[in-house]
Amino acid sequence: MDDKYKFIDFLGLRFNVANDLSVLVSAVLVFILVFTLSRKITMRPGKAQNVLEWMIDFTNSIVKSAMPDGSGKQFNLYAFVLFLFIFVSNQLGLIFQLKVGGFTYVKSPTSNPLITMGLATISLLLSHYYAVKKFGFGGYISNYARPVKFLLPINLLEEFTNFLTLSLRLYGNIFAGEVLLALIGTVAKSFGAVTFVAAIPLAMVWQGFSVFIGAIQAYVFTTLSMVYISRKLEQE
Amino acid sequence: MAGLLVLGANQVALGDMLFILVSFIVLALLVKHFAWGPVTKMMDARSEKITGDLDYADQERSRAEKLAKEREDALKSSRAEAVEIVSKAKESGETQKKSIVSDAHSEAEEVRQRAKSDAAKAKEDAMAGAQNDIANLSLEIASKVISKELNADDQKSLIDSYIKELTVNEAK
Repeated sequence: MDDKYKFIDFLGLRFNVANDLSVLVSAVLVFILVFTLSRKITMRPGKAQNVLEWMIDFTNSIVKSAMPDGSGKQFNLYAFVLFLFIFVSNQLGLIFQLKVGGFTYVKSPTSNPLITMGLATISLLLSHYYAVKKFGFGGYISNYARPVKFLLPINLLEEFTNFLTLSLRLYGNIFAGEVLLALIGTVAKSFGAVTFVAAIPLAMVWQGFSVFIGAIQAYVFTTLSMVYISRKLEQE
Repeated sequence: MAGLLVLGANQVALGDMLFILVSFIVLALLVKHFAWGPVTKMMDARSEKITGDLDYADQERSRAEKLAKEREDALKSSRAEAVEIVSKAKESGETQKKSIVSDAHSEAEEVRQRAKSDAAKAKEDAMAGAQNDIANLSLEIASKVISKELNADDQKSLIDSYIKELTVNEAK
């Protein structure tokens, strides 16, 4: 909303400190999570290993539903990290937001379109890379004119719409969640104790719902990434 | 440092995209090295072990089934064999008994025949001997009668003695 951010210019690029710090925090949280869960790997899994394997099985099933012939095994790791990272990122802004001197430093990194576009870029780059690797560059180019030639412009357009819908869906959901949370916060502060008390259940309900949305959006983003990759990898 | 800090909200921070790209790749590599690699390796090993164990169990079961069948067959065949042996023994015993009985019959018949023929021969011999004896006796009597004139008493005693002799001979 009306948050202010600090920017750093470095090597001719502009960095948003809040975004980068949030990304870093999310990444570190994800790493700590899987690191602590994977300390004792045994044939007969303990509690931590069971949790980790459950998550791995979950993301593997996402990949498998998009690529049922087992060709998607190489994307299992990507789906796993992507899902966990987006999930943690989505929840990060709900759990804590850091504001110092009017500047936001930590929030949900996925509530920024550039971050989600960065994630979508990774997914789509992977899909193009593996399509070229599978069909060769000529085959990859000719796939745009399939199944019939006049679909070429639509197929080209689809690449951009895929990118935009993938990134903006995630951004929109998380950003809207944070906006509404901020609005509820404003309501709470507007008329003293009365609105403060009234806003508490509202904020609780919306936060619970945001947790749900965050999980769903992580799942959707991962699933659609895999679907786009699988569509690039098959010839119509 | 202060020159690097720029305040503003409307500029596009393309550096963020680069930042998330790099941090995501680093995160993925770290996760792969510390968690994903070992866990998936263990999961694969486990699934392999489970398949191996299942295969082994199948193999063992089929082997056990085969063995049980073999044993059953062996049992069945041995039972049949036993029945055969018993029946063969019975049969051979029967034939042996028959042959023994018939042998005994024939032997007894033979013995009887021989005894019969022996008896007949003995009788014949005895008859022939008696005939000779009588002939000799009468010849002797005749010669004695002829060679010696006897009185009545002598004659009588002579005849008595001969008769006695004869009876003695007969009694013999």
